[in-house]
Amino acid sequence: MRLPLLLVVLVGCGSAGSDSTPERRTLVVAYGADEFPLTLNRERLGRYPLNAGICEPLVRLGTDFGVVPVLATRWERRARNEVRFFLRPGVTFSDGAPLDARAVKATLAHAVRTRIDYGFLADSSIRVVDDTTLDLRPLRVNHRLVDQLVHPTYGIFEPNSDPAHRPVCTGPFMLADYVAHDHLTVVRNDRYRGMRARSDTVIFRFIPDETTRTLALRAHEVDAIVDVGRSNASALARLPGLRIVTASPGAVLVLYMNLNGAAAHDQLRDVRLRRAVAMAIDRRGLVEHVLGRSAALVATVNPPSVLGAHAALVHGVAYDPAAATRALHGRTLTLIANPGSVDRATIEYVQAQLARAGVRVAVEQLDVAEYESRLNSGAFDLDLELPSQNDANPAFLLALRWHSKAGTRSAAFTHASTDFDALVERALAAMTDDEARRAAAEAMHQLVDVEVGAIPLAGISRVYAMSDRVRGFVPHPSRLNQDWSTVWLAQ
Amino acid sequence: MTESGWLVRRIAGAGVVWLLVSFLSFSLGTLAPGNPAQIMLLRRTGEQPAEIEVHRLRHEMGLDRPFVERYARWVTAAAHADFGRSYRTGRPVLAELRTHLPATLALAVTAFVVGLTIAIPLALVSAASQDTVFDHGARLVALAGVSMPSYLLGYVLILVFAVMLGVLPVSGTGSLRHLVLPALTLALGSAASVSRLLRASLLDELGADYVRTARAKGLSGLRVLTRHALRNALNPLVTVSALRFGRLLGEAVIVETVFAWPGVGRWMVESIYDRDYPAIQGFVLYIATVFILINVAVDLSYRALDPRVRPGSPAASRG
Repeated sequence: MRLPLLLVVLVGCGSAGSDSTPERRTLVVAYGADEFPLTLNRERLGRYPLNAGICEPLVRLGTDFGVVPVLATRWERRARNEVRFFLRPGVTFSDGAPLDARAVKATLAHAVRTRIDYGFLADSSIRVVDDTTLDLRPLRVNHRLVDQLVHPTYGIFEPNSDPAHRPVCTGPFMLADYVAHDHLTVVRNDRYRGMRARSDTVIFRFIPDETTRTLALRAHEVDAIVDVGRSNASALARLPGLRIVTASPGAVLVLYMNLNGAAAHDQLRDVRLRRAVAMAIDRRGLVEHVLGRSAALVATVNPPSVLGAHAALVHGVAYDPAAATRALHGRTLTLIANPGSVDRATIEYVQAQLARAGVRVAVEQLDVAEYESRLNSGAFDLDLELPSQNDANPAFLLALRWHSKAGTRSAAFTHASTDFDALVERALAAMTDDEARRAAAEAMHQLVDVEVGAIPLAGISRVYAMSDRVRGFVPHPSRLNQDWSTVWLAQ
Repeated sequence: MTESGWLVRRIAGAGVVWLLVSFLSFSLGTLAPGNPAQIMLLRRTGEQPAEIEVHRLRHEMGLDRPFVERYARWVTAAAHADFGRSYRTGRPVLAELRTHLPATLALAVTAFVVGLTIAIPLALVSAASQDTVFDHGARLVALAGVSMPSYLLGYVLILVFAVMLGVLPVSGTGSLRHLVLPALTLALGSAASVSRLLRASLLDELGADYVRTARAKGLSGLRVLTRHALRNALNPLVTVSALRFGRLLGEAVIVETVFAWPGVGRWMVESIYDRDYPAIQGFVLYIATVFILINVAVDLSYRALDPRVRPGSPAASRG
């Protein structure tokens, strides 16, 4: 629910300043809804979806979407489908117990047992070599395993601790208190081997409503808020004592097309019509006039930095409304949109752009379950989504959504050609990161430029708002990897 | 009909309604588009799950069983207060209700009491000073209260009391201070509609013959208003108040979201989005049970308040 801009502007009229507030070593962050009570998240307290800095994985995701060593200092490919990890020596959990390969095995086995693993591993996949060495053999041939282990789900915990209630880990913070739907509090881990956390305590308050989070910031109840919407962000930016921080794009707004639809939804089987749809949408206009500072013009379906320099291989279809009108005039298309991530203004923009090319776009308002049902039954022509990139695998989205063997029901309607499949498989089987990025970029070029199976509309960034007194905040494009240990509150 | 015979029929009727509600909630829930197994797995990663995983989970959840078998099992267990386990959280639905319900009840009861505390004096003064500036002002305020969406009222109250004045917290739980703004948000909307109704009802009563008689006997205006007119004007108020209490539970959904209040309303909305059938059905049965009990209580209170509807009274015989 969003309050019109007016309310937030009004806030600026009467709020009292807080410069007289004494220095606090406690940082309060307003987060969205608490999803830890959900069945598949309970066993990931403090790790996912809110990564509170309690646990660390073997490797983490860098701000450039590269893999950064954390609890593993290095890794090497042993056989066709096996990776050997060498653990950082001398690491201890916050209770003083030493980190060893058995603890890593226990964490990964727990992920498999509780089904929070993403289907990469089985109990038999994990073999302890010695105290500091561990072999992982994925269930299926997977050369991108290391890229995927950056996910905070794979944060390592002490085997005798309870990951659902009191995880004991190696991170810069320790869990102090958790009250479902209210708050999660972490305190500094004084045994941390690296740079100690700058704040003594960080309290994450669960406030599901975005406008309420904004008002909590204005009332000085919290020092920083996550996921600020466009209208609130521009209003807050004008208020004294506050600033807006925008990460680099961590997600891409993508217009999916039904490439293999039946009867009522088979128009976009024709690549000429798909290209015409792409030509009808002025993506620059969307970025400049609708999405604003949180968006960037991109041609790729992943954040371009995932592909490195190879992102330049993907060009995107140029805006050509006259050609679009010639091909599309008089047609009717059905548009659905992911209700959890795509806002009304974007939907209306796409609808209006296609209307200018003479297309009547029927937009259907659906809840998540109805939306999923439509996606899985192929009852759509166009589908707007905002998938996030939370690991380092450059081909993850390509394999999941457009590969013919993705295994998802919706892939039956979105899978692209066998040429595309071959390129994705090459990316997944690549032995080096650069090869993987190159092959993924070629697959994306095939998808976006040749087959026009999807239209990347804009790169979208996470937006944070915070008090001017908040220091040391370095925004990460993936919220799951946001580091709060460097952040503190100045006097 | 005797008092006990009336009571038996009333309770039997309530049982039939309860069964119908159980069947409807179960049917509508399962007919709605969406696959709970798919949604659960989607929540795990935020991305499309593999079809084979969806099938496996669907089987484990018993969703591939025939409808009749599932309904029979569920309603039998529900009659023993076992609503099954929530798909979303894996906890028993009854435990979820026990977790979330106290917060909502605290909110709704406080709002209800505050609402009546505002509405009754406002209606009395307004009716006693009909067509004066005060009466027009009160009606205007009541109209605004009825018209304003509760979420907007909530934001305005936060803006004034938390942001500008800094005297109350924006959201959350933990103290009575946290209850003030969400309860006031609910109460003001409720007070507005109740005061409008009570004012109208009081004006009707003030024009009745027995009021003229009371005035002719020399009773003071205040005494006529509070002892005579108010008592008879309370009947519609009792009905509306009972229904308002039910509506408060509904409006609590919005208010709980705005104020991050961990009540049953927000829990239910999330359950509906995720097609958490056991939670939805358990909640619907709970609400139905509450409404049925409230209605029975209202009928009983009518009989206590109004002699005309008691068995054996001339009015009841005519009815």
